[in-house]
Amino acid sequence: MPLELATVSPLFAEFPFEWNYIRSIVRVSLYVSLVAVALSTLCSLPVALLVGFTEFRGKTLLTSIINTGMGFPSVVVGLIVLFAVSGQGPLGSLDLVFTPEAMILSQFVLATPVITGVSLAAVSSVEQNVRDAAYAMGGTRFDVALVTIKEARYGIATALLAGFGRAISEVGSVLIVGGNIAGADGESYTRTLTTAIQLEARQGRFETAMILGAILVVLVLLVNAVVVRLGSGNGGYR
Amino acid sequence: MPIHRREMLAGIGGGATIGLAGCTSSSDGGDDDGPEISGETITLTTTTSTYDTGLIDELNAPFEDRYGVTVDTVSQGTGAALETGRSGDSDVVMVHARSLEDEFIEEGYGVNRRDVMFNDFVVVGTSDDPAGIGGGDDVEAAFATIAEEGATFVSRGDDSGTHAKELELWDAAGVDEFGEWYQEAGQGMSEVIMQVGQTGDYTLADRGSFLSMQSEIDLEIHVEGPIEGGPELLANPYGIVAVNPGAHDDVEYDLSMAYIGYLTGPEGREIIEEYTLEGEQLFFPEAISEEPNFQQYVPEDWAPSEADD
Amino acid sequence: MLDARNIHHGYGSETVFESVSLSVTPGEVVAIIGPSGVGKSTLLRLLALFDSPDRGTIEYGDTDVWDVSEQRRLEFRRRIGMVFQEASLFDASVRRNAEYGLRVRQPWTDRLRHEFASLVGRTNGTGAEIEALETVGLGEKVDQDVSSLSGGEAQRVAFARALAYDPEILLLDEPTSDLDPRNTALIEDAVLEARDRDIGVVVATHDMHQAERIADRVAVFLENDIIEVGRTEDVFDDPDDERTRKFIDGELIY
Repeated sequence: MPLELATVSPLFAEFPFEWNYIRSIVRVSLYVSLVAVALSTLCSLPVALLVGFTEFRGKTLLTSIINTGMGFPSVVVGLIVLFAVSGQGPLGSLDLVFTPEAMILSQFVLATPVITGVSLAAVSSVEQNVRDAAYAMGGTRFDVALVTIKEARYGIATALLAGFGRAISEVGSVLIVGGNIAGADGESYTRTLTTAIQLEARQGRFETAMILGAILVVLVLLVNAVVVRLGSGNGGYR
Repeated sequence: MPIHRREMLAGIGGGATIGLAGCTSSSDGGDDDGPEISGETITLTTTTSTYDTGLIDELNAPFEDRYGVTVDTVSQGTGAALETGRSGDSDVVMVHARSLEDEFIEEGYGVNRRDVMFNDFVVVGTSDDPAGIGGGDDVEAAFATIAEEGATFVSRGDDSGTHAKELELWDAAGVDEFGEWYQEAGQGMSEVIMQVGQTGDYTLADRGSFLSMQSEIDLEIHVEGPIEGGPELLANPYGIVAVNPGAHDDVEYDLSMAYIGYLTGPEGREIIEEYTLEGEQLFFPEAISEEPNFQQYVPEDWAPSEADD
Repeated sequence: MLDARNIHHGYGSETVFESVSLSVTPGEVVAIIGPSGVGKSTLLRLLALFDSPDRGTIEYGDTDVWDVSEQRRLEFRRRIGMVFQEASLFDASVRRNAEYGLRVRQPWTDRLRHEFASLVGRTNGTGAEIEALETVGLGEKVDQDVSSLSGGEAQRVAFARALAYDPEILLLDEPTSDLDPRNTALIEDAVLEARDRDIGVVVATHDMHQAERIADRVAVFLENDIIEVGRTEDVFDDPDDERTRKFIDGELIY
């Protein structure tokens, strides 16, 4: 037992710094991904409901654009967002280059088609007669939309997970627009789990990279579990 | 505590002037109505080779403490670092490719260039040295031999300072045919060193990056740079340039100048000098000298007659 | 109370019905009988104010419901309950289905409070939904999930859902066509109970015996039109229209 302690403690001695570093990276990762997913959801759900339940010219085209967007290469999104927020770009005056907000923007662009596409499939599968029932019971159009979302909740939860998964595990665009910045004191500013893993691997510090990788996997699993649990907690499972 | 911080900020304007020209100035900057320091952050773009050694963090911490400013460091290839400066997205740029820095200044994007420090390039490779270039100090001959023997050479291939130097060396060695033995990685220095350690035979690396990785891989130096008595051709000088506020009026010019002043001043020199990895000094400061060195401020081939008009 | 006058409806160039008139007053059951596919469902949807008729008017009281603001029309809609051929329940508990109509009529603050309470599993019913469920004999199943119900029970929940907010009009679209005799009887009892509470009921059905059992008046829907309306016994015993007689006798096959 004392022997074990002796071998373990040097490892812990280095931990305070590393631990701060890792914690701040996790915080930045979660902040950027969660905010991006929240914003995406706010945009995606109305679009999915609108596209799902109205007929208009170009609906098929719009649907296929959304589906194409789901597989849009993240590096290209990063480049486009970089041009948009860069000094000369249309959003240049906001001074967003190399900030978490720029990363949120690029994650938003990445996650929105995924969330819209999967939600669209989910809400489209809600039966019309259930929507009619909500309307006939005195529901407004908004009530009908709410019922649709509730009926499609497992599909929408899947959509959010897919969007979150894409956002938090994505490395190309956040590296380009965020710059992978950590302060001299080891506090992450725009360094996320993915960009940190890339950096640590590049420097051959595979232990740290592995720890970060494990945290990333655990985070994704945790969020999955929470969403699944929330989804099944309300109303019961069919 | 916030008040303390405000005082810090008020002093920055003065700090910038001190750092740049050595003037004793500014009683208190906080009272006048002129524009105050607008941001508490400057963005430094620099090369992966400086960032990955850990030197930048070591340099930034005391600067941030003293000025109450955050330095956001983005590590890119030399080409990308300068490009970011060109678009006004960084405030100050530290790179190691003099010809590219000169271009940057000549185009009007950079002002007040200073030499900061140097280290050198080394030719590294697997310890079995398949092309047999070890021990010599003629880097041109070594490059020619690698090409002749067709030993694998991993190039950065990423428009970095190291890549620029490597191309210059092939040119000097008279090699203009590149076969299968020549692999462009398109990656940072550390990745390339890792790659050579696993699959390749040789690469050109800056000494700092190599030393910082030495414990991770099984490679050794086959041709030394000037620090260990090798040819001057392998020198690797780092320069720092502020982004010209005339080109981009929203850059943090005064803070950048404070940073340049700090890096090229006594405190910066001391930190650079004392920074070691695996017991070896990585960089050699060259900003402070009794002898004037006007060349550092202007493009290398610039002559006064051109400016006389 | 609810009056459809000379309404015409079609999809594109296809006419569903030409000029239909029908009214219902409180405390009566009107059955629309006719073969499947003649447009009984479309007529009920128009009476429920899903769509506006192409021509003609629908009046509630003395108000043309398509001549008022959307907000005002919502008030009329909320006096109407409806049950479809399929139960069309929400994927939730029996209670949450039955109380739905009550919830959408509440102010947002109350609804949000209720949503939150149900998330943490502490909800109090308003009482009305329990009463409605008891009317259809499902008082003891409030906390079950609807997925555990039989088809007949599900349809009875749908009935309770439309009854819970105490509508003035109840529209039933083939409510028992998929049900066994016992569940059919339970629904029919509930219809009569609703009538006794002064609710006006319109039930579309292809089951003439059902019409005979529960309806005060019968409207015969044949060939894109309501060809005859009258007291149930009059229509069944002594129809004015030859086609009605043939339809009732089963000679007319559509």
